[in-house]
Amino acid sequence: MSVTTAKAVPETSDKWEVQVRKGCLELAILAVLWSGRLYGLEILRRLEEGSALIVPEGTVYPLLNRLKAEGLLASEWVEADAGHPRKYYKLTAVGRRRAVQMAEFWSTFSANLDSLLAPLRLAPLRPGPHGKEER
Amino acid sequence: MTEVNVAQRKIEKYLQELRAALRALPAEQASDIVEELRSHIVEKAAANGEMTPVAVDSVITDLGRPEDLASLYLTDDLQVRALASRSPLLVLRSLFRWASLSFAGCFVLMSSLLGYFVAAALVYSALLKPIHPRTAGLWMIPDGADYEISLRLGFGAVPAGSRDLLGWWIVPIGLTVGIGLFLLTSQCGLWCIRWLRRASPIATH
Repeated sequence: MSVTTAKAVPETSDKWEVQVRKGCLELAILAVLWSGRLYGLEILRRLEEGSALIVPEGTVYPLLNRLKAEGLLASEWVEADAGHPRKYYKLTAVGRRRAVQMAEFWSTFSANLDSLLAPLRLAPLRPGPHGKEER
Repeated sequence: MTEVNVAQRKIEKYLQELRAALRALPAEQASDIVEELRSHIVEKAAANGEMTPVAVDSVITDLGRPEDLASLYLTDDLQVRALASRSPLLVLRSLFRWASLSFAGCFVLMSSLLGYFVAAALVYSALLKPIHPRTAGLWMIPDGADYEISLRLGFGAVPAGSRDLLGWWIVPIGLTVGIGLFLLTSQCGLWCIRWLRRASPIATH
């Protein structure tokens, strides 16, 4: 972890992307837990499979811990066949309500932002074949 | 020593460092965190069959340094506790940790310290007025051609030419303003912590 905050060095778009991912991480975690309990590594794998949310693994566990402290998640230890116990997380009733609220906010927000971005998509600077900008 | 033993040792070393860095947390909570990460490392390192030292190294690298990982847990923990309890001590500890991470945090910490300090000085001088009626209070003290306004707790003699601005009024005013400032500082600190939590849900990377 660097000493400066990400906010202090906003020059690169990479930094911005990290911030966006981080901001969405909480909602993404609540979303992957929607259909049932999962343990940490499963949550990480779902996040990687289901979205471009490639996040540092070290940030997910403290976040799970915080969501639990805030009452959005509950956890339990389960003895696995693998030989070591696993800590499973599931949504609490409060967590479910919060997830629905966040999803609603996200839909409205992303639709609005999308319409704002429409002119940019017609701009001469088009994404290249590998998603990189051609200048 | 077999490969698996070396791998096990690496895991133990990492987890010991993590546990040491988490010592500020209650033991039970720290154990829970350590065991969860042990489970993560063991399962991920053995994903392709037998656990090897190289696989363990790679998993540990992905997790980050133990101190950094612990610091994310501690920052969150302090914030949650400060928000729940409103105790000035927790507010300050939380701000102190924040201050070590950013310039804004530093500024908020300094302001809060100043707020608590002035609040304490006001309350003390109000409380000490009955004990040192002639010397405690809010004084205007000559300083060359200028004057300086000073809160005195009543120890030592008052410099010549000074004027007691409030007299006995320091008792109700000192207590009210002091306690008010104390609550205001706590409130501002909590507000800043909430703002920080919204601005970056999990500290920063």
